[in-house]
Parts: sequence; C-alpha cells; structure tokens
Amino acid sequence: MPKVTINGKSIDVEAGTSVIKAAQLLDIPIAHYCWHEGLSVAGACRMCLIEVEKNPKLQIACNLPVTEGMIVHTDNEKVRDAVKWSLDFHLINHPLDCPICDQAGECKLQDYYMNYGLYNPEMAERKQKKNKAVSLGDRVVLDQERCILCSRCVRFTNEVTKTYELGIFNRGDRSVLSTFENRPLNNNYSLNTVDICPVGALTSKDFRFKQRVWFLKDFDSVCNGCSTGCNVKISYNNNGVFRVRPRVNKEINGFWMCDEGRDVYKFVNREYRLDQVVERRDDFAGASVKGKPVALALQEIGHKIKDSQKLAVVVTAQYTVEEYEAFFELFSGKLKSTKFYVWVNNEETFESFDGLLLRGDKNPNTNGLIKTMKKFGIKAGLWKDFEAAVVKNEFQLAVVAAPENQNVYPELNSRLATFEKLEDVVWLSSCVNDRFKNFRWQIPMKSYVEKSGTFINFKGVEQKIKASVKIIPDAIDLIQLSAGLSESIGVAR
Amino acid sequence: MSLSLPAASKAYIQKELKRYETKESALIPALFEAQKVFGLITPDVIDLLAMEMDIPSSRVSEVFNFYTMFNKKPVGKYHIQVCTNISCAMVGAREYMQAVCKTLNVKSDEVTADGKFTVTGVECLGSCGTAPMAQVNDDYHENLAVSDIPKFLEKFK
Amino acid sequence: MEIKLLTEHYDKPEFVTLKGYQKLGGYEALKKAFKMKPEDIVTEVKNSGLRGRGGAGFSTGMKWSFLPKNNEPRFLLCNADEGEPGTFKDRLMMERAPHQLIEGMIISSFAIQSKKSYIYIRGEYMKSYKIVEKALQEAYDAGLLGKNILGSGFDHDMDVYRGAGAYIVGEETALISSLEGKKGQPKLKPPFPAVQGYLRKPTIVNNVETLAAVTWIITHGAAEYKKIGTEKSAGTKVFSVSGNINKPGVYEVALGYPFKDFLQNECGGMKAGFNFKALIPGGSSCPVLNAEEAMKSTLDYESMGQLGSMLGSGGVIIIDDKQCMVDLLNVLMNFYHHESCGQCTPCREGTGWLNKITGSMLSGRAKMEDVALLDKIARHMLGTTICALSDAAAMPVMSFVTKFKEEFEFYAKERKSKVRGEMVYAESHH
Repeated sequence: MPKVTINGKSIDVEAGTSVIKAAQLLDIPIAHYCWHEGLSVAGACRMCLIEVEKNPKLQIACNLPVTEGMIVHTDNEKVRDAVKWSLDFHLINHPLDCPICDQAGECKLQDYYMNYGLYNPEMAERKQKKNKAVSLGDRVVLDQERCILCSRCVRFTNEVTKTYELGIFNRGDRSVLSTFENRPLNNNYSLNTVDICPVGALTSKDFRFKQRVWFLKDFDSVCNGCSTGCNVKISYNNNGVFRVRPRVNKEINGFWMCDEGRDVYKFVNREYRLDQVVERRDDFAGASVKGKPVALALQEIGHKIKDSQKLAVVVTAQYTVEEYEAFFELFSGKLKSTKFYVWVNNEETFESFDGLLLRGDKNPNTNGLIKTMKKFGIKAGLWKDFEAAVVKNEFQLAVVAAPENQNVYPELNSRLATFEKLEDVVWLSSCVNDRFKNFRWQIPMKSYVEKSGTFINFKGVEQKIKASVKIIPDAIDLIQLSAGLSESIGVAR
Repeated sequence: MSLSLPAASKAYIQKELKRYETKESALIPALFEAQKVFGLITPDVIDLLAMEMDIPSSRVSEVFNFYTMFNKKPVGKYHIQVCTNISCAMVGAREYMQAVCKTLNVKSDEVTADGKFTVTGVECLGSCGTAPMAQVNDDYHENLAVSDIPKFLEKFK
Repeated sequence: MEIKLLTEHYDKPEFVTLKGYQKLGGYEALKKAFKMKPEDIVTEVKNSGLRGRGGAGFSTGMKWSFLPKNNEPRFLLCNADEGEPGTFKDRLMMERAPHQLIEGMIISSFAIQSKKSYIYIRGEYMKSYKIVEKALQEAYDAGLLGKNILGSGFDHDMDVYRGAGAYIVGEETALISSLEGKKGQPKLKPPFPAVQGYLRKPTIVNNVETLAAVTWIITHGAAEYKKIGTEKSAGTKVFSVSGNINKPGVYEVALGYPFKDFLQNECGGMKAGFNFKALIPGGSSCPVLNAEEAMKSTLDYESMGQLGSMLGSGGVIIIDDKQCMVDLLNVLMNFYHHESCGQCTPCREGTGWLNKITGSMLSGRAKMEDVALLDKIARHMLGTTICALSDAAAMPVMSFVTKFKEEFEFYAKERKSKVRGEMVYAESHH
C-alpha cells in the first residue's frame, strides 16, 4: 500500500492506483476530459497535468501510478498555468455556441473556464470548421465542432459495447469524430456516449431543447425497466421527469445503463398517467365515469370483495416488496383467498440477457414478488391457469396489480379480453389506456418515482427507491390500497 | 453498382491476413492493394475490405484516413508528388512545383484534362540531398530542374 | 575526414547482394555472435557506447537491458520509417547495404532472444522496400533466417512491413500502433515498449543505422568502437546533409567532428553566391543554431546539447543567407501541422495555431505581438504531450523567433521579408 501526498494530504492506496484516482479518494479535484473510470486510459486531453516533486516535467495524473512516498501538487502556479493552456488549446477552435448548446450548464469547458480560465483569448486566426447537427441515428446528435476529441465515446463503443460504430478520422486539427459515413449509432447503449461526452458534441435527441439543465434537479432511483436494477439519477422539475441517467454502482451496473431503461420515465409523466378513478357505470349504459374520490371507490370495492365468492388476484412483478407485503397480508393473510396468479411478461425471452445489462425479465422486482409470496405461503398460478379458470367461469371478480410500464408487456392488449370476460375487474394501473374502459374500476397507482420501497434484482440484491417527486396527486400505492380495502371490508390491518 | 475485388487481390489479402500476428496488420497492405485495383479508396471500397477482412468499416476508415498515401480523391495516371519541405524549399522545389503545374495547366491536386497527371505538394520524402525531387507513383526522380520539365514529362507517355 | 565503418562499401553495387556482401566479410559477425552468450552481446553493445541513431540518442545496450528477464516472447522492430525533414541516411543504408542491416538485426535478435522481427519501412521508400524484401529472401534461402540459423539452434523469422505515409510513425510507439494495423498514434508510457510493446509483448525498436552499427561492433569489439568519437558520443555517425552547398549527400564521420570542417570538407563549402547563415543540426525538429554557434559546434551529442540543440537523426540542414527565416518557419509549421496525429490536445490544436500565425505573418496579416505569441504558444506545447512531436514543432519556433527575431519583427511590421524585400509566396498545400 504505497502512500501518496497530494497538496499536503496523505493517503495509502493499493499498488497500481493512479494519481487521479488517489486524488479522487482525497476529494481533491483534478481537471480532466478524456479520463473515465469505466474506460481505458487515453491520456490525450492533457488537462490532468500535475507536478510530482523531484520531477521537472509535469505528468498526467490519469496514467501515473502512485509510488511510495510520492509528493504531488495539483494546484501550484506551474500546474495552473499548464492546465490553463491545455484548456485554451481545447477552446481555440471551439465554436463557443453555448447559448444554443444543450450541454450548457453542465459542460466541462464552461466549468474549467471558471476554474482556470477567465482570460482574454489570444486566438485571432480562423477556426477549423466542421459539421454541426449530424444525426447519428434515432437517439444521438453529433456536433463535430464542439467535439474536443477526448475519445471517450469511441472507447465506449470499442470497449464496452464492442460495436465499433464511432471513430476519429483524419489527423491533427482536421480530426473529426464520426461514425463511418454517418451511419446510425443505434446500439442499445448509445446514450451512454451522450452521458460521458464532457461537452456538447453528443446530445440526446430525446432530451435536447426540452429543458435547460439549470431548471432541473436530480434524485437517485433504481431503473424499473428490467430485473438488473441499474442505479439511476432522474432529472425533473415541476413539469415532470425529463431524463434518466446511470449512477455508478460497480456491483450492479458499473457506469452504464441501456437506452431502453432511459425511456421508462415516459410512463411516469402526466400525459401517460391515469390521474383519477375511472368507473364503468352500468347505470350510465356502461359509460366511463371519472372523478370518484379514491377513498370512496376503495370502500365500494371493499364491499364487492367482501361479497364475492369468486375472487382472483393477479399480480405483476412491477411493485415494491413493501407493497406486496401489504397486499398479500390483506388477500392471503386476512381474506384467505387462494386464487393468486402471476402475470409473467415476455415469457419466451424472459431468461434472456444481452451480455451487458439488459435482461429479458422486464420487471424490477420478480425476486421480491417470489420472496413475498413464499413468505405468505402463496402458491400462485400462471397466466394459462388463470385463463383456463376464466373459461370455466370460476371468477366473478379480479383484482389486478397491472403493469406500470406497459411497454414491456407486449402481450398486454391481447390479454385484456380474458379480463373482460369477468363481470368486475379492479384494474390497478398507473397508466392511462383507452382499452381499459371496460373494467369496472381503474384505480390510479403511483409510479416508481412517487413511492418508497424495495426492489430485489435478478441476483438477489435489495435496492431502495425513494418517493422523490409528486406527479399524480391522487395516485396510491398497494399499501394505501390494502389499507383502504381492509377498512372497508372490516378486517383489521 | 456493387464493387468486387479480382480473385488475385482477394487471394493476396487472404494471404496477408495470415502473414502477421493479428489480422489488423493486413489493413495497410489491403488498402494498398485496393488502391491499385480501384485507383482510389471510396466508402464502397472500405465496406468491401471490411467485409473481406471481417474488420469494422469504421476501423478500416480510421486507418485509411490516417495515412497520406491512400487517395481520397481521384488522381491522374501519373501522380507527381513534389516535396516542398525545408531542404527542398531552399533549393527551389516550390518554384519547380508551380512550374510543373503551369506546364500541365492544372492547380495542385487537380487531374489534367487527359487524366494523365496530378501534381501534389507533399512533405519530406527523404531525398533532401538531391532536391528538388518528386515521387511519381512508386519511383523517385531527383535533382530536378525547371528547365528540364518538358523532357521530364516526356517520360510519362 | 570521413571514417567509414558502416559505409565503406556503399559505392560497390555488389554489396547489395548476399554474395557480394559475404565476399566483403558479411555475416562473419553473425557467426562470431553465435559463439557468444546473448547477454554478453548486450554487454558488448552497452560497453561500445552506441546510442540510438534515430534521434533520441539513448544508449542501445541500456534499452535492451530493460527487457524482462524471462521467457516471454519478444519482438525486435527496425525503425526504417525515416521521415525527419533533412534526413535520408537510412534510405541509403537500405538501398546499398540491406544485408548489413539484416545481419545486425539477427545478431540483435539473438542478443535479446527474439524469434521475430520486422523492418518497418516508410511507404514512400518503395525502392528500399523492394531491395530489403529481396535481401530477406536471399537470407532465407541461405539459411541465415528461419530455423536453426547456421546450425546455432537459434530460430528467427524476419519480415518487412510497408508504412503508408505518416511522419509520426517514426516515433517508436506510433510505429508499434501502425504495425498493429491501427492509426499510427503514439502510445502512453508507462508501460514502455520494452515491457509492453507490439501486441503488448516486450519489444525493442531500433533505428536502421543503430542496428547496422551492431554488426560492426560485434566484428571489431566494443573497445575499437569506443576509440572513435568522444567520451559520451562513441563511434561514427552517418550524417545526411542538404541545402545550398556544393556536395549535399550522406557522410559518415566520427562523432565530435567540428562542424566547420564538415561544412568545408565533406560538404564542399557553400555554393557560389550563398553564404552560411544558420544550421539545423539533426533534422527539422532540432533548434536552429545561428552561424556563430554552428561554427563553434562539433557534431556530437554533448556539443549540440550545450548549444541548446540536438544531434537528432543527423539530418544536417544548412541554411543560407538567401533564405527568409519567416518563410522557412512557415514551411516547418506546414509540416508539423500536417503531421500531428491529433491525439493530444496541445499538439493537435497548437500546431494548427502556430501554422496559422506563420501563414498570416507571410501574407502580411500578423501583428507585432504575434512574434511573442508564437514563442508563448510553443513554450506551452513543450513537454505536455504523449510523444515528442509537440516539442518537435515547438523547438524550431522558439529558436527561430529568438535567434532571428529581427526578421520576424521586420516582417510583422513592414509586411515583407527582410531578406527578400518582398512578401513571400505562402500558399500551403495542405
């Protein structure tokens, strides 16, 4: 364990640790563009120049392993002058189009200019012209002039996805980042290149021009797009959620997440949501009537459940452990219902895995569901069992904990017909869909960003999510639902 | 139009793929071979090589774009590359190049109307002691003089 | 006076062939080497004081001794990617004496126990390539390469690889990248090639002249080699010299030879009508010396170092009084701008910036402050990048604008060349 002293602070680190990493552990910032912990070392931006005592030449912190007794300075005059010049070399051909650049506010050129710059530029020559707004497929836009050629995105597609779409072509200041012949960058991890781009060269088609980043706040969450449970941070404001980006968790997702997972937020925002109770009223010739207070609806549903002898409970693996606990406590513990069914989505590809992060089980909590059912001794049937029972007219009423993310339930629409055969369906759903109109009750449920709880991922890791934003004021979770029903049915919780 | 490599070129590339420790080392030889066949390297040629060698097109293109000897634009049958670096410049290489362009009535990098010549100024060719000099296709021509230009061009009929 | 250790037979056409080479004593050194222990050859080369002739001037024996002492496969690469402006000696060495190089490489490979070597020749040197390719075939046919060479039990394969036009590939790690089929961009150090080079295996990269010198050193011994030259610059050096002199060409002289004598004797003095003005001693990347400095210099590592320049590759560029230094600096900046690989930001952006300023200056658009700015930019490019190309661009700038400041200031102020009395044609072809 060699000991290194950086700006007077010492730390023992594992042999082979780079100076930049040691500085990170000491909370000492070292400017950098090309270095990224999840990628190989390029050593090209030359921003992380530091001084090592007894060495007249400045070294780059990213490629310098710590040696015993090394004394490093990151903030003396010599280093600051060198870093300022490295920054200026990045800026001399940069278009400085911050006002129209989506990266503004979270751009490392801006950040370091505040730290090292604040000078009068001396570049008076013509700038290198390159292409702007180059479309690289469905998700990513490239601005070659803004690109500082740090090669992070190239290394990502070479080393992580091994899809090799991106390259840096030509030499010197004619070098351009591109795909070959501007071919699409359509791998399912493409937006990671946008995340790791330290400047506005790669931007997300989905996110760009929607919000200035200084109007957004981030909260931590866990992706509910599949059973991997990638750690994410979600950007939001009063108008809703705008983007999902990965958060580092070396045990779960490393530094990355898939593009599919980034779309999950779309089912969270108001326009996709069921915002109030919808009830099919026989007394209005089967028309849907909106607006009954949730508490009142639960009371009526509770009575219905109490009276019903033919009750089925159908669950998906999209809810938290805590919700399942409350839900099964009511239906199994109190009501002794024995008819439970698990609705498994994508059955054919359920076990598949893309080799990086994305799993065929497109639910965040399959293991949580299994664990909780086991705890209550529930032996649930599968879809085919449910279907068979419906055909045999075994049920009159079903309570369905329906999927929050409809997109990952491709069989959803075709299965609605089975539910429609029942007289009464209590459809618990966070999303709005015209095809649910035949169900007796639709109850607005919270999405994963509006509730706290636990997901258990594919390998059994328990991860907490936290209620961080309110989008649908009337939405409830399964805990609130179970409490409301318990009260109505008259069973103590 | 779909391009294809002649059988001999394919065989050559397959041999080069096995010649070195890794197949990527065969990229430069393959690009030279393709240039010999097609005259210049177009995106179609890059795709063709990528397929033939099972190397991503982006990698082929990166290598192609890095080196100056691969033609990005069409060149004449005789590519006259005049060195204009320091030693040559001091003994009149730039004036020589201008004179050749004037004689052929082209600007640098253009192809003459008959498709025969392109004149390009290039960096040091390692013939500094015999300047001015020019590389025409594979061969060096040294100790050139403006007064000999007509006779010099005669060689390339 | 020339001392021809390596170039003695270069004027004999038969020296190119295996037969002719053997007749003149060729491949005797190899037989001698096979009777030595590999580590003794390394020691011999170390003791000879031989320094890398490609430009860096690092001790060859020392470089070899950095290889790991184990059985890991290792490679020897011959750097024949000669491209430093003003340098053309390796080309001659390959065209006139391919077997001298091959013999040196087999000996060196045996010394470092490498079973595979490559000669990486710049793409433009088609003639050298063909000659070396033919010589290799001769060597294979004669059992000098392949399995159990000359019954020694030592196996070695040698191949030749042709570059495709990139100055930077002359940098040893860029040469490795290029041979690996990648863009010819330098690699980060550490790890050094001796530890992880070609295909991440231990690799030694040596210049053509260096490897050829190994042959002589093994034949005659380190002590004989060390007798020639100076204390820190042992042996001879093959210089290539260009400019408006009477006898430009390639000359082998003992290190330590006074430049004044070299210019007068070997170079035959200045051409009529031209006066000596400045010297770039070792290829375009070395800082320029003014006439006074040049005349007191000797051709060796120490003298050039003391004068703030370098011996480099031995590409002696003689600058005469008809040359405008602003123009010549622009020519050099065209070159470095064109050749920067683009990897490190200070070099990628700095070479372009410098070139644009020198171009502006030539066309009369520069301001007086730009002279100082050139120097300032160059100073901040120095020592900040992966390889030395950034330095190679910066050093000429700093030395030109310092030593010939009045020419730059005159041009900026008067919008014409002090030397030529008019604006200099400045079209860049890149």
